[in-house]
Order: sequence, then C-alpha cells, then structure tokens
Amino acid sequence: MISNRQRAWRRLRRNPIAVVGGLMVLSVILAAIFAPWVAPFPTHAGAVVDFRHRHSPPDALHWMGTDNAGRDILSRVIFGYRVSLTLVAGVLGVAMPFGVLLGMAAGYFRGRTEFVIMRLTDIMLAMPPLVMALAITAILTPDLINAMIAITALWWTWHCRLIYRVTSSIVAEDFVEAARLSGASHAHILLREILPNCMAAISVKTTLDAGFVILFGATLSFLGLGVQPPTPDLGTMVATGAQFLPDQWWEAVMPGLGVLYAILGFNLLGDGLRDMLDVEIG
Amino acid sequence: MTALLEIDGLSVGFTRDGDTTQVVRDLSMRVAQGARVAVIGESGSGKTVTMKTILGTLPPNGRVLGGAIRFAGQDLLTLSARDRNRLKGTDISIIHQDPLAAFNPVFRIGTQLDDVLRFADARLDAPTSAADRHERITKILRQVQLQDPARVLRSYPFELSGGMRQRVLIGMALLHRPKLLIADEPGTALDVTTQDEILRLLDDLVAAENLTLLLVTHNLAVVRQNADYVYVMQHGRLMEHGTVRQVFDAPQSDYTRQLIAAIPPLYGAGVTAQVARGDTPLIKLADAAKHFAAPRSWFAKAPPPVMAVRDVSLVINRGDCFGIAGESGSGKTTVARMIMGLLPATAGSVEIGGRDISALRRDPAFRRRIQMVYQNPASSLNPKRTVAQMLAVPLAFAGDADHAKRIAELLAQVELPSDYASRYPHELSGGQKQRVAIARALAVRPEILVLDEPTSALDVSVQKTIVDLLLGLRERLDLTYVFISHDLSLMRNFCNRIAVMWRGMLAEQGPTDAVFDRPTHPYTRALIAAVPVLTAEEAARKPQITLAERRAVLASTIE
Repeated sequence: MISNRQRAWRRLRRNPIAVVGGLMVLSVILAAIFAPWVAPFPTHAGAVVDFRHRHSPPDALHWMGTDNAGRDILSRVIFGYRVSLTLVAGVLGVAMPFGVLLGMAAGYFRGRTEFVIMRLTDIMLAMPPLVMALAITAILTPDLINAMIAITALWWTWHCRLIYRVTSSIVAEDFVEAARLSGASHAHILLREILPNCMAAISVKTTLDAGFVILFGATLSFLGLGVQPPTPDLGTMVATGAQFLPDQWWEAVMPGLGVLYAILGFNLLGDGLRDMLDVEIG
Repeated sequence: MTALLEIDGLSVGFTRDGDTTQVVRDLSMRVAQGARVAVIGESGSGKTVTMKTILGTLPPNGRVLGGAIRFAGQDLLTLSARDRNRLKGTDISIIHQDPLAAFNPVFRIGTQLDDVLRFADARLDAPTSAADRHERITKILRQVQLQDPARVLRSYPFELSGGMRQRVLIGMALLHRPKLLIADEPGTALDVTTQDEILRLLDDLVAAENLTLLLVTHNLAVVRQNADYVYVMQHGRLMEHGTVRQVFDAPQSDYTRQLIAAIPPLYGAGVTAQVARGDTPLIKLADAAKHFAAPRSWFAKAPPPVMAVRDVSLVINRGDCFGIAGESGSGKTTVARMIMGLLPATAGSVEIGGRDISALRRDPAFRRRIQMVYQNPASSLNPKRTVAQMLAVPLAFAGDADHAKRIAELLAQVELPSDYASRYPHELSGGQKQRVAIARALAVRPEILVLDEPTSALDVSVQKTIVDLLLGLRERLDLTYVFISHDLSLMRNFCNRIAVMWRGMLAEQGPTDAVFDRPTHPYTRALIAAVPVLTAEEAARKPQITLAERRAVLASTIE
C-alpha cells in the first residue's frame, strides 16, 4: 500500500503542466528574492538615467530592451516581481485567514452568525471590485500599502464563500457531532476537526488567487493608483511603456509578458494542485 | 441445457497511478439458458467488476488481462465496439442497485424510458414510432405491477417511492426482452418489506418470461430464495460453486462456511438469546414526541408540523440491550437522538437515571454517561486525525491524565493492536474503523451506548466480529445498549428487549423472544415475515402472511 503523500507526489509528476507551473512560480520567487544578484543591471531598479541607451530594442546586452530612461527592462521586471510578490503575501496573508475564519464560523454556527457574515459577504461581492479599489486608493494616498489594503478589503469575501460551503458539508459529517458529544470545545472543532479538512481547498484557492492578485495590483498601478515611480512595478511599467507604442513596443510588451509569466505559473500550479488534491473550487 | 453465458479464465485489473491491481483472477463460470444464477461476495470480491466486464462498462482504467466471455456463442471481448454496443440494454440488461441514482432527476420517467427504448431501437437499426414505444412502455409498467402507468410516466423520479422507482428500473431493463438479465443487489437500498416485494416480482417475471437471471448480491438469504445455482467469490477468486442446496447445506470452502455462520439466524437452535441483566430502570421515555416545524414562509400560512415521533413510552433497564427496530422513516433514529439529548422532545419526557435529559446540555458529568456509535465509520472518523488524536478529545473530557495508558487500554478493549494509535482512518479497514469509533465512545467511561446501526455499513463476516465485541464489552464494562437497526435477524441475537417502530409510533415492544415468537401487531408480523432467511426451518417458523394481508397492513392509514 502506498501512502497518500506518495500517491499525491506521483499524481503531481504525472501532471507535467503542474510541474511546469511549479517551476515557473519557483523561478519568479527565486528571481525576486535574489534580484540584486540575478538582475543584469541591479542599479537600474532605482532612479537611474542612461541617455546613451534610451529606447534600445532587445539585444544581447538588454534582453528585454531598455525604457525611455535607458534602463534595462529585464532588471526592472525582476525587481518588479518583488513588489508583486509583496502584494500577494500582504493581501493573501490577511484576506485568506480572515475569509477562512469567517467562512468556517458561518458554516459551523449557522443561524444569526451565518446570516450576518454571509449577507455582509453578499454586499461586498455586489460592489464592482475595481471601482471599490479605485475609490479606496483615491481617498488614501496611492502607494503599495494602500493598494494592499484596498485589494484585501475585497478579497476575503471569495475565501469566505468557498470555506463556508466546504464547512457546511463537513459539518454534516458525523465526526463533528461525535467530537461535540465527547466534550470538544467549539474552538477545537473549528481548528482541529474542520480546518484540516479545508486545507486542500484553501491551498488550491490561494495558489490560483496569487496570480489574480498580481493582475489586480498591476491593473491598479497601470491606472496610476498603485506603486509610484521610481519603484519598478510591472503595471506602472506597462503604463509608461504604452506611451511609446507601437514603435518601441518592447517597453510595454515585455513587462506585460512578465505579468503573464507569473500569473500563468500560479494558475498552472493551482490547476495541478486541484487535480492532485481532488477538490472542487467555485 | 446450453450455456447462454460462459466465462472462461477471466482476469481483470485496475491501473491507478501506475500500479496495476488485479481484482478478478482466473474466473470461470457458466450460466445456462433460463437459469437463475447468483454471484455472491463481500466488498472487494470482484463481483461488480465481473458484471461490468460482461456489460462492457468497465471504467477507463480497468483492463481485461486475460480470458474470454462468450454470450450466445459470440466472444464478447473480441467483438467490435459497434456489435458489443448493440447487445447493451437489448440482449443483456442490468437492473442497477440504486434506484434513485439511476434516473436523471430533471426529466420525467416517461421521457427517460422512451429515451432508453429509442436509443436501443436506433442501435439495432430498427427505429420505431413514438406511439408504438409508448404502448410497449405502458405494457411493461403493467407487468412490473405499477397500478397507474400513465401517472408514473408523468412523474419525476423524486415523486415516486423507492419501491416504485425500483419497479420502473426493472421495467426499464425488460423493455427489450433481454436474454440475460443482470440484477445488481436488487432491493438492497430499500426497506425489507419493499425488498421482499421486489424480489418476488423479479422471480415471477423471470419465470413468466423465461429469462436468464444473473443475481449479484452480498445477501445469502436472498440467494437462497431467488437463485438455483450460486458462485461464491472472495478477493477476485472463485471460492466454490454449486446448486444453492449443495452450497448452503454442504459448503466446501472455509470461506462459504464462515459466511453462512456469520448470518444471525431468525429462529431455531442457532439463536443466541440475550437475557436481561437487571430490572433497575435507567432510561425512561413517557409519551415522548418530536415534531419538526415546517419552514416558515413569508407569504403562505405555515404548514402543519411533521410528526416524526409521537406517544413513545418505554423503559430501558440497566444492563439491557434494548433494540429499536423499524424501517426508514419510522422515527427510530429520532428516538435515539432524543435519548442522546441531541433533539429536545416537543412533548412528554425523556429521563436518564431519574434526571430529565435537558440537564445534559449544561452538565458535563451527565453528558459523559451516554455516548453514541454511528452507522458509517467513514463519516464518523475525521480523515485528517490519527486514532490517538481522536481518542485524546474524549479523554481530556473525562479528565484522564495519563492519555497514553488509557489509549492503549481502549485499543486493547476493542481488540486493536496498540500501535494503531498512530494510524489515520484511511489506513484502517471498515471493521477496524468501527472499533476505533467504539473506543472513542468508551473513552469517557459511559454507562449507556446508543448504537445507531453500527454494523450496517460492514460486510457480514465483519459484522459478526463487531457484534461479538459489543456483546463482550457489555458484559465486562456493565454497559446498557440502545441498539437502533432495521436488521431483525441481528436484533434477534443481540437484544434482550425490542421495540418495533412504525410511522413514528411504537407498534409493539417486549422481550425479544416474545416479539419474534408471538408478534401481536400486524405490522410486526408483516415485517418479520419479509425478512429473508437461510433455512427452511426459519422460513416455516416466520409469521405466515399473504401478500394481500401485507399490502393491507402497509396501506392502512393511522387512526
């Protein structure tokens, strides 16, 4: 007999797309962590100007070309991943636990708790997310922290919804009642009995979400409401580069490809995890 | 007689994540034209896989590793996909096990039957008119004794009772006058009285239409009543075969002997009578009733409440093994949950040791006196927690300091090796899981265990070991059991008192011997009469009741 872990590992290996996704995600994370050593022109992440190399197309020296200040785009994409991943960690680090706890509480306690939490979720979900985020960042100063707050304020609802549904079906299992009969506290039942059974759904959802948070963050900065220059951010870079389309196409396309690469990686990995853990999301 | 179906050295394997597991090994069997042949086996015996191989409906990861299946002279395994497909539903038909899952819930029965017939006709390149098909379908529904075919055809699956759905399924299988009819656990999902009707109907149809029946089941008593020849399978292998008389009267293999010995007898010398161990009342229900309010609507007047249980009065003595018998919807589980304090009584009272059950919620010491073992251990054990982790919760509740010692003690009590403490539920077999569930209930040192069908999710041979364990524990730990079940043969051997529930009320209660030997309530008589039994002696001692009498009882209205 082989253990579940071995079986999961075999399934992962048999799923080449998930492995590719995992490698893509890993490369993004490693590049972001070791950016100063990986990037060919680490200084270009800051407010550097090199007029001799302005608008130079992709070549052996600048693989992704340079921007209007003569900075190496590849270096800036790599540093841009730092911003993106910080955003992901910040948003999901808050939204996921918050949504999971509320979702579990709603699914487990039922009654009034469920009504309040789920109707609040419905109200939040009824608001167009981009408009909400624009409003929040417009009121506050546009920077990374405020973008994070705006996205987090919207994001928890999806986790709440998902975990509410997962919890509702777990609560119907006899082991929850059995735990209650043998004197377990609500906290024990929620955290030790129900939460472990939600982990598969949570990990798949969180992985898939990472890609979408990057996209949402890039959208905000594209609109000028996210990270401010000179900090390299993928959305800001696309926005700046778009002024030079179509002649200097690489200045918008290359950062765009950078966003695509990261999101694709997270999505492929998430899909692979979903197949592997056999969970139903959304 | 010529063989309609011949299986020769069949081997089937399943591939999962790169491993191939062989589930049918070198199986040979022969089904003569017009015979009633049964394949019997417990879970994992390969009986269902064999049927799927015959039908050609193996899942994509299943593969025939060797052997041949000949049906009416042609080798099914070498037949072209098109020719093979033509046989499905026409010459070879199957009655599925679960009468609800076999229908699409959003289409009317009539549409679904018509689809089946239309596609089968199309496969045979003999398309027919809608009127013609309607006539054939109506005729079949009459044949399976559905009184009002027109109404059935207009109904959606959920509008029919389980028994009616099963009849429609049988009709569906007979639409094309199959040569071979495969019945996969017919009636198993139904109540015993309904199951009996279905089995009789099947038997009548097979005789009237001169069908060849291949009956797949785990229930030996059904085999004895509905088959002439039997094949016994275990772990994918054929253990023995012979006429029903040969196999039941003089079984050759140890496995068959075990299987027969594991069936609790309903009457006769083999019955283990349980005796009362005292006469101090412990649990008392006085006119207890439970109504479930129908959901309130904002727009309409509130419908009347559903009366799940009413006027139940019974006394369970200390040391009793008190059985509550009944079919689905009879209210037996509701009574169990009222005794557990999980459902407050709407009227009347429930007392344990003279204290009202409502005090249980606030008093942990009271709560510890009564614990529960659930029907399905797959659902009652948390898949993400080890045995030790599961037992630690009630041990903390009971205030036991030395967890390790108590866990070892509990595992010993349920006869599991102590190193099982570190196992997860998926590393345990069904019987072992149920032992863990019993250990968890025992961890708080309760006086009373409510056993909600604790063996019905298990194979017969495993059922026997769990029953023996429970009987031993009752003796050693001086426990009182409330045993909820629909399995009358089991209750006959397990309980010293028994109450029969019917439509939310007590039909009859008394010492087990008295209820079985001299049932007074007509429903009790009908219920016991419907239980399939193994021997002629038991069949003779069952209450004798005609079909018409039983129908009258079941159709009678209350008050």
